[in-house]
Amino acid sequence: MSANLSLKVETKIKELERIFAAVEDFGQKDDWSPDVIFRVNLVLEELAINIIHYGYDEGIHEIDITLTSESDALTIEIKDDGRPFDPLNDAPAPDLTSALEDRHVGGLGHYLVRTMVDEIRYRREGDRNHSTLTVYRKQ
Amino acid sequence: MGIHIEWKDEVLIAKADGRIDGTNAQEFQRELETAVDTSTHAMILDLEHVSYISSAGLRVILLTAKSLLKKDAKFAVCSLSAQIREVFEISGFDKIIAVHASQTEAIAALKN
Repeated sequence: MSANLSLKVETKIKELERIFAAVEDFGQKDDWSPDVIFRVNLVLEELAINIIHYGYDEGIHEIDITLTSESDALTIEIKDDGRPFDPLNDAPAPDLTSALEDRHVGGLGHYLVRTMVDEIRYRREGDRNHSTLTVYRKQ
Repeated sequence: MGIHIEWKDEVLIAKADGRIDGTNAQEFQRELETAVDTSTHAMILDLEHVSYISSAGLRVILLTAKSLLKKDAKFAVCSLSAQIREVFEISGFDKIIAVHASQTEAIAALKN
């Protein structure tokens, strides 16, 4: 048994609300744990915000999101036609060790994503980024 | 997201609730900046009723910790859910910001 959710959002911060509502609704119907719902929300927020802030010079564009839920894992696919960006290799390394006064502010988003999912794949298809992230539904 | 401010034993407690994400992080930052300006020597951010935080919210917590350090004021966070605690640890924040299990523990630690 697998279930799917497809969602198209515009490159506006306000659209995060629509993403969160859709994840909450789909997650509850599909019986995800609160931990899995948290992870999926976080992954989608961090990736979408990056696309919104850095993907384009101007204009409103569209982001395609697909969630596929299976008994052992759920898969998040996110596609956009912005600048090429590989979430696994293109994000700068975060500062995790400096003392408080020197700690660099920012840059944690993609690091959280990489740490909180179990698999990440990325490919550039023509003029589109296509990232696929998998979260195992462990206990 | 909302923030309720109260004082206990001369410690300013900022109790947040709801979700702290990219849609409201600026509001969270404004509220905490006001709290930092008001606080004298110690501030606690109570996250008991916060269900979600992303890097946008973590950024504000780090800025708050830095502002309080500059004022030579103490800072702690308390009552993190398991998920928020994990995000804190992944970000390395637990090494630079005091994390306590409860508000009572946080107050006791800051008063020492």
